[in-house]
Amino acid sequence: MSKGIVFSIEEFAINDGPGIRTAVFLKGCPLRCAWCHNPEGQSFRSEPMRKKDRTEVCGVEMEADELARRVLRGRDLFDQSGGGVTFTGGEPTAQGPFLLELLALLAGVHRAVETCGHTPEPLFRQVLDATDLMLFDVKTADPERHRYYTGVDNALILRNLATLKESGKPFIVRVPLIPGVNDSLENMRATAALLQDAPGLQRVELLRYHKTAGAKYPMVGRRYEPPFDVNATPAVHDAFTPAGMKLLVL
Amino acid sequence: MTERIEKMRAFLWARAHHRFRRTPESLGLDKLSARFAEERLPDVTRSARMLEALLRAEEPIILEGERIVATRTITRIPSVFTEAEWAEIKAAHTLHERGTVSNISADYEGILRDGLGARRKAIAARLEDGGLEEGQVRFLEAADTTVAALQDFISKYEDCARRAGLEEVADALAHIRTEAPRTLLEALQLLRMVHFTLWESDCYHNTLGRFDQYIYPFFQADLAAGRLRPDEAAELITEFFLSCNKDSDLYVGMQQGDNGQSIVLAGRGADGRYLFNEVSRICLEASYELNLIDPKINLRVDKDTPLEVFELGARLTKRGLGFPQYDNDDVVVPGLIKLGYAPEDARNYVVAACWEFIIPKNGMEIPNIDALSFARIVSDAVARLPEFPDYASLFACVEEGIRKECARITAAHDRLYIVPAPFMSVLMGGCIERAQDISLGGVYNNYGIHGTGLSTAADSLAAVRKYVFEEKSVGAQELCDALADDFKSRPDLYGKFRFEGPKMGQDDDRTDAVGTALLDSFAAALRGRRNERGGCWRAGTGTAMYYIFHAKDLPATPDGRHAGEVIPANFTPSMFLRAQGPVSVMRSFTKPHLQDAINGGPLTIELDDTIFRNDETVSKLAQLIRYFVRLGGHQLQLNTLNKEKLLDAKVHPEQHRGLIVRVWGWSGYFVELDACYQDHVINRIKYTL
Repeated sequence: MSKGIVFSIEEFAINDGPGIRTAVFLKGCPLRCAWCHNPEGQSFRSEPMRKKDRTEVCGVEMEADELARRVLRGRDLFDQSGGGVTFTGGEPTAQGPFLLELLALLAGVHRAVETCGHTPEPLFRQVLDATDLMLFDVKTADPERHRYYTGVDNALILRNLATLKESGKPFIVRVPLIPGVNDSLENMRATAALLQDAPGLQRVELLRYHKTAGAKYPMVGRRYEPPFDVNATPAVHDAFTPAGMKLLVL
Repeated sequence: MTERIEKMRAFLWARAHHRFRRTPESLGLDKLSARFAEERLPDVTRSARMLEALLRAEEPIILEGERIVATRTITRIPSVFTEAEWAEIKAAHTLHERGTVSNISADYEGILRDGLGARRKAIAARLEDGGLEEGQVRFLEAADTTVAALQDFISKYEDCARRAGLEEVADALAHIRTEAPRTLLEALQLLRMVHFTLWESDCYHNTLGRFDQYIYPFFQADLAAGRLRPDEAAELITEFFLSCNKDSDLYVGMQQGDNGQSIVLAGRGADGRYLFNEVSRICLEASYELNLIDPKINLRVDKDTPLEVFELGARLTKRGLGFPQYDNDDVVVPGLIKLGYAPEDARNYVVAACWEFIIPKNGMEIPNIDALSFARIVSDAVARLPEFPDYASLFACVEEGIRKECARITAAHDRLYIVPAPFMSVLMGGCIERAQDISLGGVYNNYGIHGTGLSTAADSLAAVRKYVFEEKSVGAQELCDALADDFKSRPDLYGKFRFEGPKMGQDDDRTDAVGTALLDSFAAALRGRRNERGGCWRAGTGTAMYYIFHAKDLPATPDGRHAGEVIPANFTPSMFLRAQGPVSVMRSFTKPHLQDAINGGPLTIELDDTIFRNDETVSKLAQLIRYFVRLGGHQLQLNTLNKEKLLDAKVHPEQHRGLIVRVWGWSGYFVELDACYQDHVINRIKYTL
């Protein structure tokens, strides 16, 4: 039985897949996106988090079966609502063995995994096999920009995206819309081009940046100084519906 | 919303009709009570004469575009007694709140079926019976005076409508003056007149009952006869809803907005059929479009209610109206039958001003007569903690405290006096037959008691059990000392009890069982007791405004609450619960035996408005509500809030006049609330994602 580190479990997750879901946030991420709104999910270790009137420990170690039991408490609601569990983070695939064990323990429940796609390819395939729905982030199609704003280039991510497309598995692509970073029509067209010929693609979700994303940085002792204008409103360009894809702007 | 309704809404929102208002003093109406005293008039006669005088003094005002008329022009209803007389009454009796009939539900179905003329005939026939006592004759005469006064008032409006060339309005008024309504327009006009008159007769918290059920036959007849299209019918119902907001600022309860204008939609009928009809749907849509606080909608649901009905309700929640409130027939109806209600009455239940379950036509109930503070009882027991060898003896002391408090409360409400309400009596079952005013009793005369601070009490007991008796990590005297000085010298214990202590709402069976045991004790302590009117006592899970009153002088409690700090409103988890989310909260709060504590009082959940990112989320909220119902919850109210907006509204009230919040059992305009109620809403836990 493997252990992992979890920084939040949220019930009534209604924006992360079908039905009413329990969202499990696994701690630790290989990326450092400049706009990250869950900075407490980046480190793989537990850390103090200062709230208004107290300091909490962010990140607890849990056994896979203990966590699975916790998720299964919502089973009746999943069944009634067509919901399930969504693993997110952080980057859930970064705790690969733990995630795989959880997915196996929860077979029979609708399982979704939200990923940035920066995952060793064999592991990505294993996760994909044990998952009912992928929520796959595409930050930008441009490799240089990707490296500058997230700390890694997107070659691996794009290879995993290709695997996902080929698999035929249902998936949703999510694009955080960051003002001046990736919200150009050109990038949207390039992203749409990446998503051509994907029978499993259910829809594209554009998640508009909001400046409250920086709220949690001071709580984990960090400064929020992203290299873009946090007060700007991101542009919304729809390059997707013309290409025959469903689009949802959130 | 049609253009006509939109214009009328804008007119009312600008308070343009307030210029027609006059004070009772300017009309000499404030002098009436002294004259009544001089003439030594009996109370029921006074009530009738006062109503007659007020209706005579009302100016008929028809606002532009109106098809359903009646606008209040007198700002306040004077009392029928002088101050000296009130002093005498208070010396000899107890009063409930303001002393007049309130918070019951008239038989609107009956008056719309029979018409005003039939009631006068019934009164006349009863007077001819002979064998009546003097008081009975006096009551019947008073009742007749009130109906006659309303008929004259209707005539006055009819004349006004004719003069203005509004033939349709005038014809409807001419008909309903004596006859039963035939059309939807006539039915809504008579309902408006009757409801208006209840307020004018100094009754308050005048609920509207099962509006969709008693209006449906008129809707159906008009559609069948080709007199109305569905959209025209919807426009009329929307206009009626709008009319409920016209004078409501004059209908003050504990706070502005607490006016009791609740309606109840759907519910299961005697044959087991779910009674959601086209009018129910129109009501939910009308309310969505109007975006105003009245009427406040209750939706009766059960485990088999179609998801679409929950979705229509969830749309209103998303809109931020704070209603509908959901009432679960699967729990409420059997609970009421257990209390002794006839099954047909239990199935016909409606909701009083907030969430109290009452019976239309037959109930002269006082479901909010007093409140028991669970938190206070537990606090008193914990103050003696060193005396108790174990948790069982502590809990026994709490149970004894609940029994004593129930005995005290039930003994305190005797010699009750209620000002007669002859007009309300005309609208209640059996009053004419018995020749007795409704203030003296109806078929059901039950009283209800709220239970406040349940989660504060349960969390406190669970924490003491864990830390003092099981882990033994805190000594009994040590905890008592820490509570006595409000944790000042023990910030460590404060943090431990407040943030780490067990809390009801985390779906932890052992902690939740404490809440269950407390409610069971409350119900058991009232079982078998009778009030002076022969009614039973009902245990409840609501708080009304007592969540503010009962918190003020309450010392620090072992749930980590500071002395004087607020307690949650209604049947709701601690405000410092480290919430896993609304699902665990629902699971925890559906475990108690709610059929046995069925006075009313909802689980209240606040949602952050950011969760509603798209239409899919409305459907998911609907599924969550249905889940609650299927778990066996009795009642649920949901608030959709944006904390920043609320904080801004405190600073710039003028920019947020329309901002609606659910307070304790009703929706009101945030900027019109007292600061303590505003702050409580701001500090509630909001579920976000």
